[in-house]
Parts: sequence; C-alpha cells; structure tokens
Amino acid sequence: MGTNETSSYKKLTKSQLSLWIGQKLHPEVPLYNMAHSFEINGAINPEIFSKAFQELINRTDALRTVFSELETSPVQSILPHLTYKLEVLDVSTETEQSIQNWMEHRSRQLFNLSQPLFDSVLLKVSPNRYIWFLNIHHLVTDASSSSILYRAMSSLYRHLQEDTLAAFKEIPSYSNYIDFETERTASQKQSETASYWKQRLANQLGPPKFYGKHPAKTSTRSRRVQLHMGKERMRKLTALAARPDIRAWTKDLTLFHLFTTLLVAYLYRVTENPHISIGIPSHNRSTTVFKQTPGLFIALFPMIFQLEATDSFGKLLERVKLETANYLRYAQPGMSTPSINKSFNVILNFINAQFNDFNGIPMRSEWIHPGHCDPAHHLRCHVMDFDGTGDITMLLDFNESVFDTQLRSQAPMHLLNLMDGLLDNLEHPVGMPSMITEKEETTLLRSQTIKFTSFSSVVHQFKQQVKSKPNKPALYDRNKQYTYREIDQKSNQLATLLLEKGIIKGSRVALYMERSPAYLIALIAVLKSGGTFIPIPSDTPINRVALILQDSESALLLTSKNLVEDNPISTIDIMHLVVDPDNMEANGEKDMIPSLHATDIAYILYTSGSSGKPKGVLISHAALTNYLTWAKGAYALEDHIKMPLFTSIGFDLTITATFLPLITGGELIIYQEMESGPDLSFLDVITDNLVNAIKLTPSHLTLISDMDLAKSNIKLMILGGEDLKTQLVKSVLNSFTNPIKIFNEYGPTEATVGCIVAQYDVSSHTKTIVPIGKPIDNMKAYVLDAYLNLVPNGLVGELFLSGIGLAEGYVNLPNLTLEKFITNPFIKGDKLYSTGDLARWNDSKDLEFLGRKDDQVKLGGVRIELAEVESNLLQHPALKNCAVLLLEEENRLPEKDVVHCTQCGLPSNYPKTDFDESGVCHLCNAFKSYKDKALRYFKTEDELASLLMSNRGKNPTYDCISLLSGGKDSTYVLARLVDMGLKVLAFTLDNGYISEQAKENIRSIITKLGVDHIYGSTDQMNKIFVDSLHRHHNVCNGCFKTIYTLSTKLALEKKVPFIITGLSRGQFFETRLSEELFLDEEVQIATIDDTILQARKLYHQEDDAVKQCLDVTMFQKEDTFERVQFLDFYRYSDVRLEEMLTFLKEKVGWVRPTDTGRSTNCLINQVGIYVHKKQLGYSNYAYPYSWDVRMGHKTRTETLEEINEPINEKEVKRIMNEIGYQDSNTFGMNPKQLVAYYTGSGINNSKDLSDFLKKRLPHHMIPSRFKFMKELPLTVNGKVDKKALKDLDYKQLEMETPFVSPNGEIEELLAGIWQEVLGLKRLGTQDNFIALGGHSLAAIRITARLKDELHLNFPLNKVFELPTISKYAKYIEKTIITLMKE
Amino acid sequence: MNEILITYICEDLLNNELESGLSPQDDLLGSGILDSLGMMKLILFIEQKYNITVPPQDMIIENFMTVSHITNYLTNKEQS
Repeated sequence: MGTNETSSYKKLTKSQLSLWIGQKLHPEVPLYNMAHSFEINGAINPEIFSKAFQELINRTDALRTVFSELETSPVQSILPHLTYKLEVLDVSTETEQSIQNWMEHRSRQLFNLSQPLFDSVLLKVSPNRYIWFLNIHHLVTDASSSSILYRAMSSLYRHLQEDTLAAFKEIPSYSNYIDFETERTASQKQSETASYWKQRLANQLGPPKFYGKHPAKTSTRSRRVQLHMGKERMRKLTALAARPDIRAWTKDLTLFHLFTTLLVAYLYRVTENPHISIGIPSHNRSTTVFKQTPGLFIALFPMIFQLEATDSFGKLLERVKLETANYLRYAQPGMSTPSINKSFNVILNFINAQFNDFNGIPMRSEWIHPGHCDPAHHLRCHVMDFDGTGDITMLLDFNESVFDTQLRSQAPMHLLNLMDGLLDNLEHPVGMPSMITEKEETTLLRSQTIKFTSFSSVVHQFKQQVKSKPNKPALYDRNKQYTYREIDQKSNQLATLLLEKGIIKGSRVALYMERSPAYLIALIAVLKSGGTFIPIPSDTPINRVALILQDSESALLLTSKNLVEDNPISTIDIMHLVVDPDNMEANGEKDMIPSLHATDIAYILYTSGSSGKPKGVLISHAALTNYLTWAKGAYALEDHIKMPLFTSIGFDLTITATFLPLITGGELIIYQEMESGPDLSFLDVITDNLVNAIKLTPSHLTLISDMDLAKSNIKLMILGGEDLKTQLVKSVLNSFTNPIKIFNEYGPTEATVGCIVAQYDVSSHTKTIVPIGKPIDNMKAYVLDAYLNLVPNGLVGELFLSGIGLAEGYVNLPNLTLEKFITNPFIKGDKLYSTGDLARWNDSKDLEFLGRKDDQVKLGGVRIELAEVESNLLQHPALKNCAVLLLEEENRLPEKDVVHCTQCGLPSNYPKTDFDESGVCHLCNAFKSYKDKALRYFKTEDELASLLMSNRGKNPTYDCISLLSGGKDSTYVLARLVDMGLKVLAFTLDNGYISEQAKENIRSIITKLGVDHIYGSTDQMNKIFVDSLHRHHNVCNGCFKTIYTLSTKLALEKKVPFIITGLSRGQFFETRLSEELFLDEEVQIATIDDTILQARKLYHQEDDAVKQCLDVTMFQKEDTFERVQFLDFYRYSDVRLEEMLTFLKEKVGWVRPTDTGRSTNCLINQVGIYVHKKQLGYSNYAYPYSWDVRMGHKTRTETLEEINEPINEKEVKRIMNEIGYQDSNTFGMNPKQLVAYYTGSGINNSKDLSDFLKKRLPHHMIPSRFKFMKELPLTVNGKVDKKALKDLDYKQLEMETPFVSPNGEIEELLAGIWQEVLGLKRLGTQDNFIALGGHSLAAIRITARLKDELHLNFPLNKVFELPTISKYAKYIEKTIITLMKE
Repeated sequence: MNEILITYICEDLLNNELESGLSPQDDLLGSGILDSLGMMKLILFIEQKYNITVPPQDMIIENFMTVSHITNYLTNKEQS
C-alpha cells in the first residue's frame, strides 16, 4: 500500500467520535470491522477488477481517510493519492470451509487508524466463481456505504471493460457531510430537537438485564446467530403487512414496525423491564447527494416504550408506529450525544440496502462478523434481505459475557416462539405466548426428586423412640426433665382424659399455651386421640384467641394456669382444660395408638390474612410426615439431635424443633417465653450452649453476629422464615471455630414448614442473598409468569409448589382455597399452590427468592399481611387513612463488586457515585470544570510566612500554636514552621489512644526541634467518641472538634494569634471546599474565606457532645474568631508524600509508628473506620483521600492501600467496650421494622395507636413507628403511593411534626436542593435541618446553590435559624418582595 | 403548491436522480422515490412552510402517496 502526503485536518463527526473512543478503549479488538464477501458466480477479469478497485479508491475519499491525534483530539485527513495492489488469491484447491475460515480470520485483522482503513482480496474459487472480500473499518463506512461502494465497483468494472471510464458518474466527497454536520450541530444546540431528546431520556430505568444476567464487566466478544424467517413466517408477515390497518408508507417501513414490535415484546419478556429502549441506526443520508456518498453517516437514536404484560401485539404495534414517527422526526444529523448513546443496550438494525448482481453476473453476499462488538451493546439484531430473495434473515449478535453458549441457542428460539404466538392473533397479550423450547420444558419439569416411603405418622415414629429409648431424656426445661417413657405416659393420660371430654378422631383442639413440657404433652395427646391441634401463642390478644376458636370450631381449649389467671378465658364460649403435667391423673392410662390416615389433619396454623382476619391453614399428616421424613435424613448429625424450642408455637417454622428431636431419639430443650416484653429466649439458648442444632430466622442471626461463638456446640443451623443475606451468614460463620452446616430453608405454611432447601456454601454463594435451593423429596417447584407459562432460567416469575406437602386448604374459606390452590396445568389431577413469592432459577439450577408479588411481608420470619394491620388500625376513630409498610435497610453492593475510580480511587459504593465509560468518577469529571477556580484558593509558603510575621511582637513568647498529632503531616508542619524561624508552641490532644511509639515520636520531635509542647486532655473524651460515632460514624470528627476547642482556649489564655492545622488538602474538600463555592464564575477568594469563617462559627454552635462536655463559652464571643485565627498549613504548602517523608527522615528523624498496626498514630482511629465501613459500606477516608489524589498529594495506589487496610476486629470491639459504645445498625436495633403512616386528627401520640392495636393484633404485627402525615401521597391511579412513603428517612420518621409535602415554586426549589445536599429522597416542609444531620458544610452548599439559582446572597446562619423549608421559604419570599419594592 | 413540493423533493430528497421529471401523480413511496426518512423530511418542510403540524395519525399512505395526495390533504386540513 503506497500512500502520499495528507491534505488538511478535519474534526470527526459525532458518530465517528463515538466509534473512535470505542476503538481506543479496546485497541486490541476488531470490534468495528465491517467485512463483506461478495460471491460473484460467473467469469470476471481479475486484472480489470483490480484496476476498477484502484479507480474506486481514487474516487472515494472515505477509503483514503486516515486518523491521527492533534494534541488530545482526534482528527481525520484524506490522503490525496493511494496506490493499492489488490491481492488476487487462487483458492481453487481449497475446500469451501477453509475459504470460509480464511475470510473469518482475515476479517478480524486489526486496522491501524493512522493508515487507510480497508483491506480487500479477490479470491478465485474457480474460473467461473470469484469472491470479492472487502473489509472496511466502521469509522469510514456503514451499511448503505457498503452498498454504494459495491454498486460503484460494479459500474467501474463495466466502464473499464467497455472503456467508457469518462462516463462514470463521480462519487461525492464525505467531507461535505462533515461540514454539514458541524453546521447543524451548532444551529440546533438549543432547538426543539435537542429538548425532545433530553426529555425523552429523562426518568429512564437502568439498561435492561437479559435473563437476569448482569455481568460486572462485559467483554467485546460477540457471537452471531443467523435466523431465517422461512416461508411460513414470511407468508404471515407479508399477509399482515398488506392489511390496511397495518400497512405504512412503504413495505420496508411496515416490516420495520412489525420487527420492532416483536423485538420490544421479546425484550420485555426476557428483561422484565417495563421500559424498553432500543437503539435504531438512522441512515442519516438526508439529501440526494448524501445518498450517494460512501462513509459513516449512521447515527443511533433510541425508540423508547413502556409496556405491560397485558398489552396486545396490535396495541403495541400502534405505539411503535407513533414512536417511529417521532423517531423519524427527531433523529437528525448532528443531534447524537453520549447520553443518547448510553440509553440503550440493544440495537435493531433494519437494513434495506441491497446488493444486486455484479455487472449482470449473479451475486450472493455475506456480512462477516468480526467476533467482537461494542461491549455496551448486549444484543444487536440485524434484519435484512441483502440479496432480495424475499426471505428475511435476522442476524443476532450476542455479547458472550451476557449470553452463554446455552442461552445463545435458546434465545433465538424464544424469539421465534414468541413471534409465532403473537403473529397468529394480534389481540394476544405480549405476555401470553410460551417462549421456552420443549427441551427446556422437559428439564424444568424434571428437576425434582420423587421418593415415596410408606406412610408412618409422627405418633408412630415417636412411639418407636419410646420403645427403643424409654429412659433417655426426651425433653426438659429449666426446672424439669422428662424421659421418653414419661412423655408417653403423660400424653396417654391426657389423651384418655380428652376421650372422656368427647374428643374423637377429627376433633379440633386449640392449644393456647406457653412453650413448656405441658405444651408438648398436650400436643402429643391430641394427636394420639386422633384430633387436630391448633397452636395459639401465649401473647395472642384474647379477642384474637376467640376469633380463632370460633373460626376453627374447636371442641376444646387446652391452656395453662398462668394464662387462665391472666385472661378472661371464661368469657369465651368453649370448654377449657388446664394442662399440668406434674398433676396428671395416673389412673386410667391406656396406651393410645390411633389409626391415623395420611389425609387426616394433623394441625391448623393461623397466619395473617389480607382480609383483616387471620386464616387457618389445614396440614395433613401426610404433609407433616413428608417434611419430617426428609428432614430426618437431611439434618442427621453424628450424635443424636438436641434442639431448642424457643420460637413462637404459632409459626410454622417451629414445627421442625417440635417434632424432629422426638422422632429421632434426640432431646428437646424448651425455653419458655417471658410473660411480657420481648422474647429474648434466643440469647439464653446461645449462652446455655446445650444444643447441637437450631432452627432460627435470619433476624435471630443478626443478634449473634458480633458474639464470640468459639465454644459453641452448635453444628447445624437451619435458617427459615425470610431471605438470608450472604454477608450475615459469613460474619456468623467466622465467629464459630467448629465446622458448622447451615441450611437455608424456604416454605410457606401452605406447603408445610420447608419445601425448598439449600445448604450454604461459602465458595458458590457469592450473591447478596443465599439461594433457597432445590425442592425437597416429593415436592415440585415451578416458576411461572402471569399466564402460567414456565419462564426461562434466570427470569423472575411467581413460585408455584406442588407435591405431598401442600396444605388441604384454608378453614372456612372455600373461595380463597380455590384461588390459591389451582389445578396443576402440568400434572393431571394435581394441585398447584400459588405462593405469591417471586423467584427464579439461577445458573446452578438453584431457586433464588426475590421478594413478594403483593403486600405480604416477613418480619422476624413471620408473615404479615400489611392489609390486616391497616384494616385494624383504620378502626381507630381518629384516623382518616393509613398505610403500613415494612422498611428495610437497603441492600448494599457486595464488597467484591465495589470498583474504584480509575483516577482517584473513590469506591463505587460512595453515595451517588457515577462512573463514566473509562471508570472515572463524577467528582473527578466535575472537578475538571472548576479546577482552575479551586486552585486559586491555594497560596504559597511565603504568603503564610508573611501572614504569620505580620502579627509578630504582639505576643512575646509564641507566634503560633502548631497542632501536632505526631503523624507525618503535622510533624512536617511543625518542622517547617520552625524552619521559617517562628516561635512555635506545639499542642497535642491526648485522647487516651495515642500509641506509645507516637508519643515517643512526639517526645523526640519536640526535643530535636527545641519547641515547647503541651498535652491537652479531657475526662469526657469517651463520651465525645461515642457521640461522634453516632453522629458521624467515625471518631475523628469528635476528636477534631475537641482539638479546636481546647487549642482555642489555650491560644486565648496565652494570647497566641494563630493556630496552624495540619489538615490535608483532601480534608479541605471534605470539610469546607464544596463544589458549590465555585459555582459563581467570578468568585472572590475573600468571599470564600468569609463563607468558611461563617461556617466555622456555626460549627461551634452545633449541639453535640463537645458543646455539652467542654467549656465553649468563648465561641459565643465574636472577637474570639478575630483574636485567634486558624490557618491550614497545607493551603500554603504543596508537598508530595515522598518529598515530605524524605524531609522528615533527614531533618526530624520521624519514623512511622508500627504499634497501631496501621498507617496512623492513633489506636482508636480504626474503631471509626470499622463503624463507618459497617454502617455505610466504605471507609471515612475514602472521600478525603480521593481529593488528596485529585490534588496530586497522594497516588491512587497509596490511597487504595490505606483505605483497604485490614482491621483488627477483636481490638476494635475491646475499645468499643472500653469507651462504652454499643455497636448498632443505622436503623436502630432492627434492620427491618413496620411503620404506619397515617392521616387524621385528634391523635395525641403514637402510643394511643399502638395501645389500640395491641388489643387486636399479636406483638409482631404492631408497627414500631407511627408517622403523622398531612396527607398520604397517591399514585396516578389514586392508590396510596407506598414507594413514595418508603423514601422517608428514618430520621424523618422520628420527627414529631407531621410530614407536609412542599408546595409552590420556592418550597419545591428548596426541597430539591436540601434533598441533594442532605442525601435524602424526599423532604417535608416541616422537617428540621439539624435533625436531618445538617451541619455547617451542608449550610455552605445550600446557601451557595440558592445563590446560583436565585442570584441572591443569604447569610449562612439562616439555615440554622430557619431550619425548615417552610420557614426558609417564607424568608426568601419576604426578601424577594422587599427587593422588588426597592 | 404542487410546484413547491416537487422542487423541494427533486432538489433535496431524491434517492436517485429521476430520468424524467416528477409528476404530481407519481407514487412517491411505492416506487422508492422517497424512503421513510425522506418522507419525514418532506413533512418537516411542509410543517415549516405552511405553519401547520402533521399529527402521527395523519401520516398514512392515503395522505402522502403522491404530490397531489399531499396537496389534497393540505387543502382539506386548511378547510377543517
């Protein structure tokens, strides 16, 4: 290839720029190669062909375009001449396959962007068959361009053959388009088109995830799958396209509408995203000339849809037509932007380019896939009929990171199955047709184990143990132990009594009892008598007990002495009997072995009902036995099983401990609940350490996650009741030294205790939530969509269950029973229970639980219908309306998924981070725009020296106080100040945790530098630490404030005019230099200094432990701030870390302390980091250090090393204990809580409401907070908008004032600013700034933003004086009115 | 009106140059004289020129098949 000098440079068009960046990001990958093979089936003259190609190059500037970089911007230029020798390769002896392989290989050849961007070869297959291979980089071509070049080539060949080259019509130049686009962009910046796209892209959800997959990083590797529509589908499509109600302007447009509709429906089905956005290339050749110009014209613009499963294909098609019209109107040259290009991850490329015959010779073309694609495009779908055969081909380019081999074979079938289902009837909802293949269906239906054993009731199984181990202990509590024989005898005695009372087979007997041996004896007795037991926990309000007895038509109530005495049981119309095992009548005992059948009902459990009343679930003996038989095998231990009974008898998960030990010869240790107050039995179970197996909920686990369990005997934990977080299991596992098995059991009461189970595995369970696993023996699980189709693996559907374990239905609720237990469409005569839970099958063929379809929630493992709480609460006369929600802490990004900004190291779990394509954070990107302004804040050491000298002589002893922590930064400050010849007093706060080596350092530093030194201290330090941990999740804030306070006092006493801090530049940005200060283009540094001083004054007025514990009276006096000035040394000194360390080593002999185990001189520092990381997910140093990197004072690597330093948890806990800090969640003690939001009048306090509910509902259903709202937010449909309610922060929930939404322009403006600055989702006009965690920096930010918005200067302290939006808004309005009058 | 439209189409929009000129009765869409993007450009031109808005539901073959269809549509629109 011979080239010549270049002409002038031109900028890149928008599309070119985006491809250029993409190629730069992936320099090793041919992701933009566009290769075609044109198979010419006839004889051609290779020599003329070569000549024609040279003529084509001469006439096509796109083929002669090369790229280079001028400074940092890419430019393009055109080589005036380019001689190209077209290679002619004889492949007549090669097989078809090897020719194909050769082309595939050749098409992946990388182009050097500074060289011409094409590659071409003529392959001679036989004298009558040639293949023209042409590969061009996308930067200089597109689909239409390929077609233009092909036609031109054909025409040039003919002209050369006929020797009429002069008649060849010239090819227009691409540079016309470059100029055209530049002009358009400039003129349209503020146009209607620009605002259309801006608006269209607003409120988009994230990009859809295909089949639940979202790889952390997508590679460029991509595979192409070819899909021919075939005759039958083409017939249907053509028939549809001809219908007047479907037909559009052109046949192509009609087909485009149909394929877009189909793709949108498919994407909706396999991404579960109701917002579908597809990138569509616009050919962008808007004029006749452009239509004949080779080069890159296409630009991508999205078409965006919102849809529901019930939308029909026809309805969707109408929307597609409308959206296409909008698309055509607004997809204009030059309007593409990076945010437009980022708004989709699917491309639909409807190509109407055609390659006709070659100079009269038949030709067949193929577009060769280079094996790579833009990694942002997870699926590219090309629809085409290149050779005009009438059969449309779809090329599906699947990104390999998203679509694995299996999915690549299934996905095209899903698309076709959906297409067939929808095209048959346009009225069909898009959610209706089944998509999965027969093979998938077989696998999905087969994934369960069927293992039938002959039925043996729990009573029989218990009896066997009585026979084999009569004298072994069976159960005991704190007072007494019972052997198997004793339990057998006592239950016989009671059963005999029951018979006398008229209990027969099938009778229902309620057990309103505490957890006690009596309860177990009563329960066995009921079963022995052939009856059904109904457990009712002791904390059930008596009204509810009555409701249950009535509903279940119980024949008898068994209860305990205590409960009879405390409750007016006699008011209930039922026979009752107090069970006292130690005073059982010994006479008349008969050995009772009832004849129980599989279908007999063993027990009825009452659970929360959405109708407002509890509902009873009927469980048969077969169901109970099936679970227990399976559990016996799965949960077997080497030793016999010892389990505690400590959870409520009303919950189905308690069934495991109730029966499992007694049917396996194990021991049951009973922990009775307290008469009132919270049930803390669990902690006793752990301290007593008597059991080797335990069934518990994840909520229980959180209680022990910080305990030392090294000596625990527990070898088996069965978790159930709610979703299990991996992080929690991990932290608990770490506390045990013994190997321990953990099972995650899933199962609604309606499917008997547990029917799906997973054994926790550290290496494979890495997602946030532990999967629930696979169905147990004789149970089946189905994940179905709303139309009861099996959903493909990875997609979310409702979990349905079938098998022996299903309940027989609900007591007295035939309609609900029919609704929830439907006919199984997959197995004849079988039932399917609709759980209302959402789930999916993951890649390991395990089920994952993903929440609820409806309003049911789980709290502490117990299910609660929120509607039941609401309907009971609404009975309160003063209430107008209410909504009850379960609030949970938001899931955190798992640590392994956290990435760091590629420039500054900021972790991605820092709030509101946004990383661009190159992994650079929003702070780095924003800083670029105000860096110059910000740098003006910094000064030189000379300025510092002259400032310090200016006041010289006012104090004969000291020029300044230097704050010395003993660390490198403050030591450097002190040494430099001494170097300047200043008289310095060094001050150190002894916070009680300075390491010995650091103290030694301080001693040697002051001796070496010959300065006076004072240690300050306070006996209130621990209180200040604890307050700081609660307030700021770290210890440093409290410590800093103490230093400022004590040193100011010292300076006043000793009349020293300056205090010099050693804060790093990063810390300036953390505490005072916010981006907002630089919003004003012409900001004066003096103004910033003034603002910071104002903020300092406010800082000392904040009501925290320092203000309460120390003498802060001097900060009330204005002149304090004049008499003592704080100067930050590093504002005046720009020194890099290594420079500093060298200086320190040489001049001062400073060494890094090693006894803190970290890069600090303070032992308590890591307590702060630990708490911060635990509560917020990231280190408190992450932010200031990122600024140090931005300021060039640290490298990214240094920062990452420091913020990821390991923490000694044992030491941290020791110190926490020492200072008296109780480790807790940000959410109070419980990470989940019920909250009621209400409107109404005349309610004095929330205790009223809570007391009101206590009479109606059990403890666990009483909301822990009641929030008074002026009105409840509503959705467009007029329902209470629960999502909006969830936006309220827990601090807002604690406020006594009602929540009032902002109203009017000023209030809304303020709310918007406050929300962003305070990191809240929603703000009420009565919410208090200080209570919301507002501090002086937040005040700076708010005031600066207001200035920017309203062009008005407000004093900083107004935010504190008028701490609610309502008050501040009034103040602003008044100010504006006054100004207008002037 | 026909003239204005024909001039605009011929000068700015044609996919390929026409051998003989464009008549008001030529099928713009079926014969491939214009593609859908071209038709939209024509509509934008009309909207600007005659200060009207063409709503998406009006964008059908019956209104836009030929230049004379377009003029009819515009005349009707003016009257209604």
